[in-house]
Amino acid sequence: MTTMESTRAATKSPIVEKRKRRDWTNGLLNVWGVLMYLFLFAPIFVIIAFSFNTGRLLTSWNGFGFEGYEAFFNNPNAQRAVWVSVQAGFMAALIATVLGTMAGIALARRPGKWVGIFLALVAVVLVTPEIVDAVGLLPWYVRLGEDWNLVAFGNGLVRLVISHAIFATAVVALIVRARLAGLDEALEESAADLYAPPFRRFTQITLPLVMPAVLAGALLSFTLSLDNTIISSFVSTPGYTPWPVYVFSSLRSALRPEIASVSTLMFALTLVAIGLVALVLRRGGDSSGDIAKTMTGT
Amino acid sequence: MAWPAGLFFIAFFLIPVAVIVVISFGYKPDIFSTYALGNWSFDNYRTAFDPVYAPTLTNTLRVALIGTFICLIIALPFSYWLAVRVNPRWRGLLLGLVLVPFWTNFLVRTIGWQLIISPNGFASDFMQNVGLIDQPLELLYTRGAVQLGVVYNYLPLMILPLFVAFDRLDPAMREASKDLGANRFKTFTQVSLPLAMPGIVAGMLLVFIPLMGDYITAEVLGGAKGNMLGQLVAVWFGSGQNWPVGSATAVLLMALILLTVGVFGALGLILRSILRARRRVEIVVKESA
Amino acid sequence: MTTPEESVRLLAPSSVVEQVSRRAFLAGAGATVVGSSVFLTACGSDETSTGSTSGGADEPLEDQVFMYTWGEYDSPKVLKSFTKEYGPTLQLDSYNSNEQMISKLIAAKGTGGFDLVVPTGPFIPQMVDNDLLEELDLTRLPNFENVDEAYLNQPWDEGNKYSVPKAWGTTGYAYDSSKISKEMSTWQDFLDVATGEASGQVSILDSPDNLCGLYFWANDINWMTTDPAQLDACEDYMVNQMAPHVKRFDSYPGGGGIAEGSYWLSHAWNGDARQGIIDSGGNDWKWVFPGPRTEIWMDNWCIPVGVKNPNAAYAWINYVLDPKVSLAELSYIGYHTAVKGIEPAANEAGLERLDIVFFTPEQVETMESGELNDAQQRRVEISNKTKAAAGA
Repeated sequence: MTTMESTRAATKSPIVEKRKRRDWTNGLLNVWGVLMYLFLFAPIFVIIAFSFNTGRLLTSWNGFGFEGYEAFFNNPNAQRAVWVSVQAGFMAALIATVLGTMAGIALARRPGKWVGIFLALVAVVLVTPEIVDAVGLLPWYVRLGEDWNLVAFGNGLVRLVISHAIFATAVVALIVRARLAGLDEALEESAADLYAPPFRRFTQITLPLVMPAVLAGALLSFTLSLDNTIISSFVSTPGYTPWPVYVFSSLRSALRPEIASVSTLMFALTLVAIGLVALVLRRGGDSSGDIAKTMTGT
Repeated sequence: MAWPAGLFFIAFFLIPVAVIVVISFGYKPDIFSTYALGNWSFDNYRTAFDPVYAPTLTNTLRVALIGTFICLIIALPFSYWLAVRVNPRWRGLLLGLVLVPFWTNFLVRTIGWQLIISPNGFASDFMQNVGLIDQPLELLYTRGAVQLGVVYNYLPLMILPLFVAFDRLDPAMREASKDLGANRFKTFTQVSLPLAMPGIVAGMLLVFIPLMGDYITAEVLGGAKGNMLGQLVAVWFGSGQNWPVGSATAVLLMALILLTVGVFGALGLILRSILRARRRVEIVVKESA
Repeated sequence: MTTPEESVRLLAPSSVVEQVSRRAFLAGAGATVVGSSVFLTACGSDETSTGSTSGGADEPLEDQVFMYTWGEYDSPKVLKSFTKEYGPTLQLDSYNSNEQMISKLIAAKGTGGFDLVVPTGPFIPQMVDNDLLEELDLTRLPNFENVDEAYLNQPWDEGNKYSVPKAWGTTGYAYDSSKISKEMSTWQDFLDVATGEASGQVSILDSPDNLCGLYFWANDINWMTTDPAQLDACEDYMVNQMAPHVKRFDSYPGGGGIAEGSYWLSHAWNGDARQGIIDSGGNDWKWVFPGPRTEIWMDNWCIPVGVKNPNAAYAWINYVLDPKVSLAELSYIGYHTAVKGIEPAANEAGLERLDIVFFTPEQVETMESGELNDAQQRRVEISNKTKAAAGA
């Protein structure tokens, strides 16, 4: 007993000391964390606040009111822009999810030399500045649509969907790959041992396993598509102006409060959507840490 | 299985990039046409490289390098805190919270900053009331505003890889370091940081490369002085209606990015080998007599 | 069962149409629309278009009109009321320069998908030469007689074969008198103050012609000069003297910059400056109609080749030429809409700062129009170089 007491006495002070020292740096880091969140959310709060501006211009505050929201409901062009964005978002998310999931699964499960090259391609797609993509896609679409008479490429929605889907597919592929790579291949192997044919293995084992990642990828694709500004502003055609391009044109003439109002609405919608996905994932047994990691493709 | 995606990338990414390069050697036939192929020459590059545009180039490089650096400095303590110090129960939620602003529209976020830093805006009023400045805030439409804007917009791209890197750190490594007598600072710089290096490099690349091509932040917040190369490309394609010169400028942008990444990559490798050489521990096997 | 077309055809000789008072006519058209839609539903037809008519044309209107125009150039209320009264929905897309608009039309090779474009006058001859514009059938525009003759038959479209005036304005500048002590009234004042007192707080129009115009007008030179010596002098001044003092190249300072407090001195078009002055509140901001020369620009409604919804397009143009509708447009965009009697109507309606919308004949005398001449490329070059120098 004496030895135990003495060991405890011996070990007690270092532990207490450690905690004290920890608190000091922890305090600083906590403060820094809070500051960072304030920084990250500052413009969001401002936009939400200014969505209630009754002035004619967004930038000059004129009093509290719902005129921005009213103006949106009376502005068919703004409404159409939002609708175009939503449509494009859904379709782009669909394409990106399908293509990206297939690619991600292949990357995780079929190793080989091609993996390196493909990953390099994905990486290049992800980091290339949007302006470069935009100025390349525009003449390409024009050539495809007019010179080679593939009429579909003259359609604004088609152009938007394809353009948005490129970046999104890369993202989905990475997310799905990360998720699958973290899982044990043994599950699929045992299914094979139990005489399950490849297709059944895929639909009943692999797919359910990656479903959280697929969902997260789909959601992310949708959000990325909604956000896409530069490429959209270059390739859009009359009648198919997506929301960010509408805002961008307004930027060049006069910003109105309704832009903040719509942004607030879309922000709320995005939060709801993400909340739903998180809920679904939670139900599926993922911890919040896992969910966050899935969403960020790690 | 990956073929559809691969073909998709080739058709709508690689080919368009190739198209840019091809057009950059073309020409602009008349005032209202945008481009024509043929008449192959380097003329467009001559225009793109005109010394008149040099300030834009140096400005872009400067904003991108400083921006990446600032993002790194800011994100490092934050990601470390989030990955290592925060209670694991809250970690997921807090990480998600970081991403929430990221999910709102890029352009709208930047416009939010325009509202904040405008001479009649919050920051200005606050700073004047507190006495920090006695004139309205002169930040909007300066290079500083663009710097602020890009740091904000690309910060999540730095936070995430750093978070992942620190998250993957084995706590045992840090404990071992402490057991061997290293203080906290030494542990951080000689154990945590080197181990997190791949994440740091990833973060820097994810921020620097798109930042070089940034266009919206400069458009919203920069004025005459906050010119970036991305804007120049956009102007050539937009109101200038001169796609060949625009393509040449885009190629110039890509080349500049590759060059800078290459230079810094090489510097980094050289630095690493120097550090390794200095820290090499010689294991001398004592031969027992 | 009678076909829907028969039930809504309003066959009237054009002379009768002109005599019928506008209100009665619109009321009649409205009644026809209501009556026909009731009739249509009663018939159980599933026609998508409302089949209403407009001004003498007896074809049904299409569902939509695609308008390619400048930003913030039509009142949302007017857009909505047109759809309510006539049926077609209006879809707007915007551009920031005539060059951009023309290039898009050329690239689309007549299949652009636009039914209406709004070019600035001097660009119309080239558009006609490139077969981009349809000749207008003015008999389909009974409200055309509302346009003030003073604004018809412009040098770039004699006889108004291709265009109908939409709005016209001028270029001047506005300054914050609480920051700038000098009383300003000429272009030379602008140059002096911009490079002096207000250095670093100046915004200049992001338009090559206007940028060069600053120098030319201050020196009483026609801004469309092709004299190489004068152009060189302009470049030298703008790049070396003016560029370092510019804060921003902003074509719409009234849309934000002025109210934000970002500028002390703003080169601006009158309607935009007016908006900025009104929104900034107080009495500090002053508008200057500078001498000795300045611009007159006019934007026009044109119908491009390849139009898909011509009936609706004509209906819209006709609608906007109605004095009441024109006044609604004016109160939103702040520019003179070239319709007869618009000035007294605006005064009656009590709109603000009409001194920045309407000008005296003496002022109009000093205005000169732009041209698409040989100096165009040189001006673009000067503008690019000035902007690059400003970023240094």
